Amino acid sequence: MMKRCYLLSLFLLLSTATACCGVDTSNKPGVPKQYVIAVVPKATIHEFWKSIHAGAIQGAKESGVKILWKGPLLESDPESQINVVQDFITKRVDGICLAPLDPHALTGVVRDAKAEGIPVVLFGSQLDAAETVVSQVGTDNAHGGAVGARHLGQLLGGKGNVIMLRYTAGSVDSDQRENGFLDTLHKEFPDIRVLSDSEYAGASAEMALDKSQQLLEKYGDRVNGIFTPCQHVTLGMLRALEERGLAGKVKFVGFDSTPGLVVAMREGKLHGLVLQDPVRMAATAVKTLAAHLKGQQVAPQISTGEYLATPENMDRADIRALLEPHLGEE
Amino acid sequence: MTAARNCLTNDPSGRLPGILRRLANLLGPFLGLAAVIAFFAAAELVQSFWRSGQTPGEFLSSYHSTFCTIRNVQTVLVQTATVAVAALGMTMIIVAGGIDLSAGTALALVATVFACLLRAGWFVAPALLASLLVGCAAGWINGALVSLLRIVPFIITLGTMTFYLGLAKLIAGETTVRPGLDQIPAWIPALVTPRPNSAWLLVPPGIWLVVGLTIVMEGVLRYTVFGRQVVAVGSNEQSARLCGVRVGLVKTAVYTLAGLFVAVAGILQFARLSSGNPTSGIGQELRVIAAVVVGGGSLSGGRGSMFGTFAGACIMAVISSGCTMLELKNPVQDMVIGIVIVAAVILDQIRRKRFGP
Repeated sequence: MMKRCYLLSLFLLLSTATACCGVDTSNKPGVPKQYVIAVVPKATIHEFWKSIHAGAIQGAKESGVKILWKGPLLESDPESQINVVQDFITKRVDGICLAPLDPHALTGVVRDAKAEGIPVVLFGSQLDAAETVVSQVGTDNAHGGAVGARHLGQLLGGKGNVIMLRYTAGSVDSDQRENGFLDTLHKEFPDIRVLSDSEYAGASAEMALDKSQQLLEKYGDRVNGIFTPCQHVTLGMLRALEERGLAGKVKFVGFDSTPGLVVAMREGKLHGLVLQDPVRMAATAVKTLAAHLKGQQVAPQISTGEYLATPENMDRADIRALLEPHLGEE
Repeated sequence: MTAARNCLTNDPSGRLPGILRRLANLLGPFLGLAAVIAFFAAAELVQSFWRSGQTPGEFLSSYHSTFCTIRNVQTVLVQTATVAVAALGMTMIIVAGGIDLSAGTALALVATVFACLLRAGWFVAPALLASLLVGCAAGWINGALVSLLRIVPFIITLGTMTFYLGLAKLIAGETTVRPGLDQIPAWIPALVTPRPNSAWLLVPPGIWLVVGLTIVMEGVLRYTVFGRQVVAVGSNEQSARLCGVRVGLVKTAVYTLAGLFVAVAGILQFARLSSGNPTSGIGQELRVIAAVVVGGGSLSGGRGSMFGTFAGACIMAVISSGCTMLELKNPVQDMVIGIVIVAAVILDQIRRKRFGP
């Protein structure tokens, strides 16, 4: 009997402790109800998502809402992400900011949220059923690709041979970047020849390295400029260029930043990076949803801008902030 | 029989009347589930009270749990379905003294094949049949290799795990396969939408399918010759062989059957995602194995129950849901799940000592 009492008290103690882990004391009695917004990223470990988290916190502070930050338990797993969104619907949060991992798989759960009267704002990526969401906040990927094309075209003086290594088949964001790049290049620099634009790098930096090595094996003696549509493909291509002693000789423009790429740019191996603004993207998403909850009209599409970092401007304060985003504390 | 065993082993559970003991055995696996639910319900109550700043009287009169609601039961069950079905097959394998590390990637392989066939314009029935056959074939390959080569199943299935991953990627052309929304019949996503279209169902049809399969498989394991042979092989392979059990055949059959369950799990995953992603099964095998172990299955073979496995799968989903309700962060949630897996096994051992196997 003693033992039972002991077990029961331990149980209660533990549940109290667990409960208090998640407690914050911001909701004092007498203060009007504070909106609670769930922010669901694609993953939580990667640096890009750390910047998103910092932005979400900033947006929450500015609009006076409370955010619940929770990513899929298995990184980059759509099923895990669906579970998280379903749990937040059950918890009856006031709204959800979502970066959908898959434009297809997340449509059902976003419809469910709408049916339950919980508004959803998308950030960073798109969804097949765009009509079910309040607003889409993100990068204009096609314009980002165009920015890259203009920079590379100018670096080459409007002539030469170019390679573009794609990310992976079926990724909507990078497809738009790649097509934006090619369209602008063909239109504005008709004398530049594209040697290869049909190869896909795959999901990891290692696979990107393999593919880059193959491409340089084939075209290494002729290529003058290279464009890569996302961070790890840029890293893989950079390594392949270094291995062949071509780094710095071939004009190279990438997309998205990481500390390794900043170093490469300083060493003159990388001549441009198209940048998004994750902090502003997440802050805008949270603020847009908060405004909607307060009954204001919001735009259905909001672009948070595309920027170009070059070896010349990389030390300017505004570009520096995007190249090496300051990670906010909660 | 019971009395005789009690005499022989001096089983303390002899104190309980037979019917109560049976009930305890049947409900045993669900006690852990009840404990986990009670834990999160209590934690949520304490947390809400802490935040409200009201007196206990005021608080209790206006308190609504978000955790203990029909809605949340529906959501949690839907989140359990994929792992639970695959875990039924895994229970068979584990009872037979084996293990299947390829369950996760084989599951994704089936989902990918199904997605490809639908995208190619196949009718649902043949596409479904073909996908189930792919699952069986994947299981049969595991079983045949294990019994023919006599290499431990851990190694064999470690190999087939990456093989099936590669095969799925190859079939999908290294991308996610998304059939047009008009190519997917409406009843497939409806299998696992949290709120069923017909309210009298209470939970979506996919969950009833899982419950039905659990009951059938419990029957197969307990009351059929095949089921008893599986237990015999898992308890002691040598004596089973000496008793005339065709061990190789039983093992192959077990893995093939488990492949069928993996295939059903793959279809359910497709129903949730409306797409086939070759990599979406990576890591699932560990969740499946954890469900079996939390439900009282023994990795050394010979012991395990389908009801236990079902409860085990539910426990894992309840923890995920509970952690979100309590606003705990993912790292905390990972740690809680780890603790629960170990705690569940300890509790199970205590229960066994008290109430017999």
